[in-house]
Amino acid sequence: MIKEKIKTGVPGLDDMLDGGLIPGRSYVVSGTSGTGKTTVSMQFLLEGARTGERVLYISLDEPPNEIKQNMRSFGWDIGQVQVFDATPDILNYDKTPVRDVSTERRVVYFRDASDEMRITSERSPADMTINTIQEALKQEMKVRKYSRIVIDSLTSLRYFYIKTSEEDTTMMSFLRLLSDLGTTCLLTVQLPEISKPEVEAHMARGEIRLHKWFNGRGLMRGITVEKYRGSSHDHRLRMMKISSDGIAVKVALPEKEELPLEPLHTEAQVTSVRDVGETPREAETPPSTDQPKHHEGGGI
Amino acid sequence: MSTGVPGIDEMLRGGLIPGRPYVVSGTTGSGKTTLAIQFLHQGVRHGERALLVAIDEPPAEIRENARNLGWDVGKIRILDVHPAAKAYSKRVSLVEVAAQRSVGSLREAGSSAKTEAMKQVTPEVSVQSLQLMLKQELQETSYSRVAIDSLTSLKKLSEAMEDTNTGVMSLLRFLSEAGVTSLIVTDLPDPTELEPEIFICRGEMRLHKRMVSTRMDRWITIEKFRGSAHDSMPRPMTITDAGIFVDSHKKIPKTSLKMLQAFTQYAR
Repeated sequence: MIKEKIKTGVPGLDDMLDGGLIPGRSYVVSGTSGTGKTTVSMQFLLEGARTGERVLYISLDEPPNEIKQNMRSFGWDIGQVQVFDATPDILNYDKTPVRDVSTERRVVYFRDASDEMRITSERSPADMTINTIQEALKQEMKVRKYSRIVIDSLTSLRYFYIKTSEEDTTMMSFLRLLSDLGTTCLLTVQLPEISKPEVEAHMARGEIRLHKWFNGRGLMRGITVEKYRGSSHDHRLRMMKISSDGIAVKVALPEKEELPLEPLHTEAQVTSVRDVGETPREAETPPSTDQPKHHEGGGI
Repeated sequence: MSTGVPGIDEMLRGGLIPGRPYVVSGTTGSGKTTLAIQFLHQGVRHGERALLVAIDEPPAEIRENARNLGWDVGKIRILDVHPAAKAYSKRVSLVEVAAQRSVGSLREAGSSAKTEAMKQVTPEVSVQSLQLMLKQELQETSYSRVAIDSLTSLKKLSEAMEDTNTGVMSLLRFLSEAGVTSLIVTDLPDPTELEPEIFICRGEMRLHKRMVSTRMDRWITIEKFRGSAHDSMPRPMTITDAGIFVDSHKKIPKTSLKMLQAFTQYAR
């Protein structure tokens, strides 16, 4: 019996997810740059904070001071959200650097987070690796039980914290740790404009993808649920809006003139022609020759 | 903070948020360098300090081109990282890291040996050495605006280095920590590749161009702008002999829109 689903905090998205997210699992929010991944994740955390849950934002892309400033433009009070500043330091190219892995970086509430950017220590720049983050996460979970965690972004973790040769296996073990924590996690993944599926999308229990395209009306935004294990979900593209209140999904289906000329290349397209009952892994068909833009990736 | 192009400032709802890194992308000849110079020129006109990191073009050429636009760019400081120019440069302080080698040997060598000597010098220009050069420069002078033209070339020069991705991350982090607003010039990103600067940067302005019979159609889009609302429409852009102009109230012609549509569709 599946536990009660939890709300995403994005109006309209819960309906697409047949009521919300199954708790205790990890989900991917993917999209090209500027599609609203960080905003969706913050709405997810704020939804939890509103009902008194402990929520944690692990920041790898943007320093907390900028997130704080950016979210003010939505008029949100993110003070109750806890933040771990995992943004990488400036690399020290000196030949004999003093590496201090145990830095003073701690989890703090956003309201206590500095308004200034953390400055890399001249003497001991932190050598952050995926292990450092993993350890910090374990320590933190011992002290406080978080019900919602966001990692923004998993892409930075892959690019800057993992040795290239070990990318996929390390990423898989990290995702395994997250599922052992039993926390509902939202992991943001930045996609190139032509996407190659990565291992994180395969491993996650669900993927919400954000889209943008141009047409006669200007920049259009859309959202799809690419996969959602253990639940039925909306297989259609819905329009989405970023306003001063944040992100909201439009319930009504897109009008003809809103749609992109050609179908967006998404995995939803592949799965939607199949039975919902099939497992996602089977649905992820290898690229056929008539689909040159759809690359297989992330193999181990 | 103004970009130096009023139309773009309007598209950005007032301009750039200071202290953050931004990307200007576009194909060759789309106006990226001009926009970068205009951004720096806007700063020096108001008494700010501005630095151009010149990688693609030798500084003399950039200067000449800017003069043709009627701008007095004399106050813009130039960090000359043009690979061939280094060996001849007398401003050793700025290029120390890269010039450690072979300045002397080049003088002794005949002209036929130049290429060989240059090859020795070239690998020294990298994302890593630029960070070290900038560190030295920023210790002496504080800048409010820095433009890097172009990161694409710098990355190509750094290919020998294993970890260009972390290098780029570090360089942009370095500029942020220094409180500098930076404009990073890049080629149009390969749609199948994810370039780290594209997802690290806090905003991306993309310049487009297209030939329509004998006329060049140009337009600009804001692909991303963190922490602020922005114009979601592509807007027509012109490059005149006084610089770049963007009309943020006009729509682009239908034909161009179709092409943009085709492009973004292809890109998916």
